[in-house]
Amino acid sequence: MKRYELLVVGAGPAGLSAAIEAARLGMKVAVFDENSRPGGQLFKQIHKFFGSKEHKAKIRGYRIGAELLSEAERLGVEVHLNAVVTGIFEFMEINVMENGELCHYKGNAVLVAAGARENMIPFEGWTLPGVIGAGAAQTMMNLHGVRPGQRVLMVGSGNVGLVVSYQLLQAGIQVAAIIDAAPQVGGYGVHASKVARTGVPFLLSHTIIKAEGTERVTGAVIAKVDEKFRPIAGTEQHFDVDTICMAVGLSPMSQLLAMAGCRMEERRGTVPVLNEYGETSVAGIFAAGDVAGIEEASSAMLTGRIAGTAIARKLGYLDEETFSGEYQALKEALSRLHEGMFSPENRGRRDLTETDEGIPLSQSLLKNGYIEKEELTRFPGVVKQKGIHPVIECTQNIPCNPCQDACKFGCIAVGSRITKLPEVAKDSRCTGCGMCVASCSGQAIFLVNEDYDETGASVTLPYEFFPYPKAGERGLALGRDGRPVCEAEVISVKSSPVMDQTALLTIRVPKEMAMTARFYRAKEG
Amino acid sequence: MSIYLDRSRSIGEFVPEPDDGLIICRCEEITKGEIRQAVHEGMWTMTEVKRFLRAGMGLCQGQTCGRIVKGIIAKELGLEAAELPGNVDRAPARPIELTILGNEGEQ
Repeated sequence: MKRYELLVVGAGPAGLSAAIEAARLGMKVAVFDENSRPGGQLFKQIHKFFGSKEHKAKIRGYRIGAELLSEAERLGVEVHLNAVVTGIFEFMEINVMENGELCHYKGNAVLVAAGARENMIPFEGWTLPGVIGAGAAQTMMNLHGVRPGQRVLMVGSGNVGLVVSYQLLQAGIQVAAIIDAAPQVGGYGVHASKVARTGVPFLLSHTIIKAEGTERVTGAVIAKVDEKFRPIAGTEQHFDVDTICMAVGLSPMSQLLAMAGCRMEERRGTVPVLNEYGETSVAGIFAAGDVAGIEEASSAMLTGRIAGTAIARKLGYLDEETFSGEYQALKEALSRLHEGMFSPENRGRRDLTETDEGIPLSQSLLKNGYIEKEELTRFPGVVKQKGIHPVIECTQNIPCNPCQDACKFGCIAVGSRITKLPEVAKDSRCTGCGMCVASCSGQAIFLVNEDYDETGASVTLPYEFFPYPKAGERGLALGRDGRPVCEAEVISVKSSPVMDQTALLTIRVPKEMAMTARFYRAKEG
Repeated sequence: MSIYLDRSRSIGEFVPEPDDGLIICRCEEITKGEIRQAVHEGMWTMTEVKRFLRAGMGLCQGQTCGRIVKGIIAKELGLEAAELPGNVDRAPARPIELTILGNEGEQ
């Protein structure tokens, strides 16, 4: 039996973060993961993260994963891959299936950061090949470089459904529609908007009825639902798709904690009852990340760090005073992520009608996935002025502020509360550098110049699709709803390492389209 | 007494539904109708249904169907899914080959 001071189950954002904290303070740590690659979901998250600097905002998930991993290795954390933890037993003993053997490890503390699994909903044909989890689609594309299909129906409009839809589009796969049984888009409006402007329709209050096909999926049938989520006869619609992606929520993989005798409760899945430091009812067994309640990777890293620090204190590696300082800082960082419209306590709420600032929310954004032009002017990021200036179409209180740091000229202000809507200064000294456009994780910032030339305006938009259009090329400008609105000429495509693969695509459109054109599509053929 | 244990309560007759043929537990190929029928035969908990039908005892160990089975049983009993206790979790948490189970690491 091998002994360690801390045994961590799961090498995702929570597990690695905890291991790093503990190892940094001098503890001997081993991390076990059943997958062949470490990082949990981080390595397939190719989008830029939200939050602020302390939450690693505007850094893409896979880069954060690489950072965590190299830090863990530098600190001497042993990471065991293809190592399946099959049980937690008395006195901090765990059994691990690795290299064809059943190995026993004993720790002074155990942290379970096993993450979550994808939920499924049953419907006619749901067992056909081609019905897959959205997370599975993401794994296929972003880890293995395999397209899950040619044309996909996405079921679920939460952040997972929205982000994966966008990544499917980036991989060159068509997304026929995003449907959700709920009457409102579940995820961030900015994620919905970046998908909607490419032309993907959103069908809210719709559910999947049937996957068609005999050997594999060849189509999908959806129908409208009433307020009790029952399908309404006669509203069926057919889609020609070869893949149906299910993004209908996650459930914590908390079995190890339950079998270890930890007190559990039902809170959107079975989760352990934890104290403020992440310790379960069994002294010495801790939990962090999604296994303790579904959130996202940024919170998982923080709950992991809190648990790692608390374990170090418990085992005498950190004095009380230093601990309470570090704990306070981490807790505050976590609470900054837990504010705003999408905070854990607001989850599932459909009755919010205005922002924290008292501005009515865009109803179109909630129902269609995009903001109507008429709704825009009431938001503080949208200011009309002469010459080039940013237009920030960020209209919901989400925890994010990289735009504020991106502008060296002080044109953009979010303030200390990171869920506040960004404000564009009335007389901004915008130079058109575009750093705000590239830094916005929600791709919601555009540079608009209504005085580009005699008859035309320029619109600079964030662009993350290969191949990049070429300067001089002519194509179509699309509106926020993804419909072509006018001809557009590509003025320039700029990309630099600091923009981290968000290119700045500048197009010229007729003046009156400056506040309408929000995406570009090359002409067919 | 927890409501799910009050076996004297009437839950009505089994009424066939059009989607009773839907496979719910993919590993063991158990249908929705079989699960609903089992409830009417007196299996009122996840544990009972599991032992009666093997739903959730296959390769994935109920990772996919557990939540769905729970929802079906609860609905049949007129309860919220959260009111019903889940499966009892035991080691091994993942399927394990007997050759490995018998191959204790030397360390």
